[in-house]
Amino acid sequence: MLKDDPPNARFESAQSFTVGADQTAVLKPQSPAMTAAACIGGLLIPGLGHLLLGRWVRGALLLVSVVLMFVLGLAMHGALSGPPDSGELISFKTLNAFANVGTGLPYFIALSTGRGAGIPTAQTADYGWLFLVVAGLLNYLIVFDAFDIARGRKP
Amino acid sequence: MTFSHFGALTTFALLVAVVFAIITKSEPREQFRYGVFVFFSFLAAAILVGWIMYPLPL
Repeated sequence: MLKDDPPNARFESAQSFTVGADQTAVLKPQSPAMTAAACIGGLLIPGLGHLLLGRWVRGALLLVSVVLMFVLGLAMHGALSGPPDSGELISFKTLNAFANVGTGLPYFIALSTGRGAGIPTAQTADYGWLFLVVAGLLNYLIVFDAFDIARGRKP
Repeated sequence: MTFSHFGALTTFALLVAVVFAIITKSEPREQFRYGVFVFFSFLAAAILVGWIMYPLPL
């Protein structure tokens, strides 16, 4: 169970957690540079933030889950949304692109290699689109989790 | 790649359950239990909604 952490908790303070029956772990926050590296790394490659923080199993599972979801989305002919034009900033396409770009490097690689066009008439195109969107959104949550770990809020 | 509806749903539920379990729980045992709960909740909700929609004309 996590210890309550008020929003204005001091960055430098070490916090204790109950990680098991009669087991308490005291965690110290990482440096701001390491925190930034974990967050930026996690945005570029899913799970990299956890790997940088030494959470090897978590990072590997997150990497496999998000990248597999992204690859399956492409394989099901889902369409990626590119950057919106200046005239369509306030549109569904902007939200779609925001969700897609959350995947990080895989998104840019897919766009640059022309794999994100999708096939709208394919039977699984809608599923593929959903997989691509959710993969990006999940990675945003993963980066928040890496941030919490780096700040010492979570073991 | 061709997926059945249920196959796509199961794959989606599995991957999302793994991520949710890891980012919401701290202990491996809690993570496993929560991941299983989320996975089967996805399946149960989909089957329930499917039966609710069954009599609706589409």
